[in-house]
Amino acid sequence: MPFLESHLLGVIVAAPFLAALALLFVSPTRPGAIRAISLVGALVSLAGSVHVALGYDLARGGLQRAERYPLVPSLGIDLSLAVDGWSVSLLLLTGVIIVTGVLASWTLTDRPRDFFVLLLVLVAGVFGVFVCQDLFVFFLFYEIAVLPMYLLIGIWGSRGKVPAAGPFAFVWRRFDVGGREYAAMKLTLMLLVGSAAILVVILALYSAAGGSTFDLQALARARFPRELQLWAFPLLWLGFGSLAGVFPFHTWSPDGHAAAPTAVSMLHAGVLMKLGAFGVIRVGMLLLPEGASYWAPTVGGVAVINVLYGAICALTQRDLKYVIAYSSVSHMGVVMLGAATLTVDGWNGAIYQMFAHGMMTGLFFALVGLVYDRAHTRWVPSMGGFARQMPWVASFFVLAGLSSLGLPGLAGFVAEFLVFLGAWQSQHYVWALAGVLGAWVTAVYVLRVGRDIFFGEGPRSDEIHHLTDARRSEWGALWVLGACLVVFGSYPRLILDFIHVATLEYLPRAAGAASALLEASR
Amino acid sequence: MPTLSDLGPLALDLGLLGALLLVFAVDLVLPHGRKRVLGLLTAALLTALFAASFTTSTAGSAFGGAYVGSEWALLFKRIALAAGALATLGALDHVDRHFPTRQGEFFLLLLFSLLGMTLLPGARDLLLLVVCFELMGIPLAMLASFAKADDTTGTHRHAAEAGLKLYLVSAVSTAITLFGLSYVYGLTGSTRIATIAAAPVTPLLGLGMMFTVAGMAFKIGAVPFHMWVPDTYQGAPVPFVAFLSVAPKATGLAAIGLLLSVAFREQRGPLLGVMLFFVVASVVAGSLLALPQRDVRRLLAYSGIAQIGYMLMGFAAGTVRGTAMLLFYVAGYAATNLGAFLVLEAVTPGRPGPTLEDLRGLSRRSPWLALALLVFLLSLAGIPFVVGFWAKLSVFLAAYQAGLGWLVLFGALMAIVSLWYYLQVAKAAYLDDPPPEERAPPPAVGAPLALAIWICLALVVGMGAYPRPFLESAATAAQSLAGH
Repeated sequence: MPFLESHLLGVIVAAPFLAALALLFVSPTRPGAIRAISLVGALVSLAGSVHVALGYDLARGGLQRAERYPLVPSLGIDLSLAVDGWSVSLLLLTGVIIVTGVLASWTLTDRPRDFFVLLLVLVAGVFGVFVCQDLFVFFLFYEIAVLPMYLLIGIWGSRGKVPAAGPFAFVWRRFDVGGREYAAMKLTLMLLVGSAAILVVILALYSAAGGSTFDLQALARARFPRELQLWAFPLLWLGFGSLAGVFPFHTWSPDGHAAAPTAVSMLHAGVLMKLGAFGVIRVGMLLLPEGASYWAPTVGGVAVINVLYGAICALTQRDLKYVIAYSSVSHMGVVMLGAATLTVDGWNGAIYQMFAHGMMTGLFFALVGLVYDRAHTRWVPSMGGFARQMPWVASFFVLAGLSSLGLPGLAGFVAEFLVFLGAWQSQHYVWALAGVLGAWVTAVYVLRVGRDIFFGEGPRSDEIHHLTDARRSEWGALWVLGACLVVFGSYPRLILDFIHVATLEYLPRAAGAASALLEASR
Repeated sequence: MPTLSDLGPLALDLGLLGALLLVFAVDLVLPHGRKRVLGLLTAALLTALFAASFTTSTAGSAFGGAYVGSEWALLFKRIALAAGALATLGALDHVDRHFPTRQGEFFLLLLFSLLGMTLLPGARDLLLLVVCFELMGIPLAMLASFAKADDTTGTHRHAAEAGLKLYLVSAVSTAITLFGLSYVYGLTGSTRIATIAAAPVTPLLGLGMMFTVAGMAFKIGAVPFHMWVPDTYQGAPVPFVAFLSVAPKATGLAAIGLLLSVAFREQRGPLLGVMLFFVVASVVAGSLLALPQRDVRRLLAYSGIAQIGYMLMGFAAGTVRGTAMLLFYVAGYAATNLGAFLVLEAVTPGRPGPTLEDLRGLSRRSPWLALALLVFLLSLAGIPFVVGFWAKLSVFLAAYQAGLGWLVLFGALMAIVSLWYYLQVAKAAYLDDPPPEERAPPPAVGAPLALAIWICLALVVGMGAYPRPFLESAATAAQSLAGH
């Protein structure tokens, strides 16, 4: 089918959106049809992503499968799509996460139609960001991916057990901290403040490049003046970084992830936070190389705070979802750390960490959803000994945990190893040291939480006989994600080759600016 | 010796006058109980005139140059006619139910006001400008206080306040405008805009211009001249508020545009500073004062004040592109705000307009109304893929290119403040459970009102998905004004 072949990227982006549109005309009382349509939409995108990956010419590299649809020609806005090695790997990640996310939401009973409509619109935005080559449309897709979260969390979210304590307890009670409406509002407003900063920079770049195009390749050739780069990069870093959970703009993330329903947490922690990091690298570091090399030490320093602070926070949490949410903050720090090294290994590691952490945290949130669904609690001290009732859930949790703490042979190890290597090469030895320390703290909290929930005698061990293991559709989700962790961990070249091609092409721009900066300072 | 063909540029306005007389005549012969026909007739005539605006040529000048038909005037005519037609559709059932015997008056007043609106943007003489402004403004004050004791919605208690405030503010602002114009006339010896534009600049003339523009700012409800807006919105019939919140604002902006871009073009430096002040003050005050509102009409009133601030950003930029972007903003805002108020009318017919509590659980009671409301709110907030986003973006772009980068950052951040209260409405509709007594099926929405809401929704989504033709026609209109 030549049409499909030449418009494949458009189809990947449009499939979830069209499925969402179709759902509007399905009666809300037919959950079977609703789930089937959603799954078809997600599967089409996944199949398309796999096809794109298989058809990507590694020897040629660069941007492939370019498609262009004029949108507002008078302003130079085109819907132009193309993939490079980075996009290929992140497309695969998104495809896997949305399919497993739909599977994990199979048993949702409260207004399933509206839920799947929003979920599919959101994921269409994510696909769009990863394949889009026009800065303006990039921003549009980015917003589509962020906004449905408000309703998804606000309507289908749950509330955790966050006891009000400490000197600010009155604030907690006043704003219902931990409640879903609080979480939804906080997430939306914080991320949109970031968007405001991004929008200003986009307009600045557009005007500075002559005011005729938003094309990313054209903008990358534009060579922006140094002072523009120096003020624009930090705005972009904070703007996109607020979605990537950059300290101190990460505080929406634990609340949001904890309150969100299972599939939304999977998608948000698994894919959406990557959009932020991807934006920092794709827009910030590639368009503003001088700004990036000037600010790289700051970016890396803050990333170190992220890694350690996130891990320590996760250590002290007692609510299972908050533990995983803070671990995401910590792991996203690894991504930013890799990006800040401005080395081949660092960037490879950063993108690989996006991929690996997406799979891993997707698995984590799917498992947490399962446990919560059965036990109706997320409070770790009230759980224990679940492994006897749900052995498979326990096994997958341990698998995800081991990947999280960086056990060789699993995907997490590859990514962290590359990032720390990059940190060492860029002669920021402290970063590497701190990163390793963070991995160690991760081991402490992950293993401890696994032990508390699944093993030993829990306080409610007499009440857990009704707990059941994973069932049909949930099985699918767990196996797919678990298999990905093992396969891509033991044979990383499957993904790393794609990433490497793109990194080799893009890095010289940013690194060239870095060495020029070094020359100037001598 | 003027001939009939000299009136060619006024073809649409004359058509509107004819429509007005027709409605008046039909009102005289219709028996009581059949007055509903008047609304249908008005809507049909306005729609026909709107359609005619695409086939009739209105270029050229009339009255010896006091009136000039151009793309600029035509665009505002279209906005006014479309807003009038949609508001008439939305008001049909309301008027029929609450003022069954006074339907003729309602629609006639609406048409009179529309006549002022369609004439004003083409005015090239300050006298004609002021007369059009009054022709538009006085019927609006009467309509604002239209609810009397025969009204069952309970709004009549606020109606007198609504009308009186609008009327007094209108009168005061006209006085201020005329005071300013007396300086302008005294110094230049002419009321012709072309003559004034060529006059030498003196400080006193600048003062006169300042007063003139301040009087206009009263009408569009820019801070600090905004006090009348929330009270009037609260007391007037909701479908009329839908009209009031868009059409007179568009016309007020047309008047300011005329003054800034043509009459005072050579001396507008200080006026741009005044615009900048209006922008900052309106955006800040509108956004912050909307935060604590519980009555959705008052909330939208304050949001409208903030929106005016964003629109004026286009003028503050002081470029042709800025004016073009403002026009696009006005068109998008008109469709959005009309739709939002019409949804409010559909949600609580026969009661004083909705509070946030009344909207609770709307998405379960009437999912389509809730979806429409959500889309309108997102558009007002400036969220991608609906027209409001392109509108905000385009004025931001114009402001940035005019060197106002700080204003863009400020505007973008305040847009997020405003998102908070728009989301409060969306939260009530989508997240909150309906109150127990409201689990009953939703009130049936009359066909004309539903049609009007659907058209607004289609416009908001359509202009958002494919803004290109609208951006282009806004650019031509702005260009045509700059050419004069």
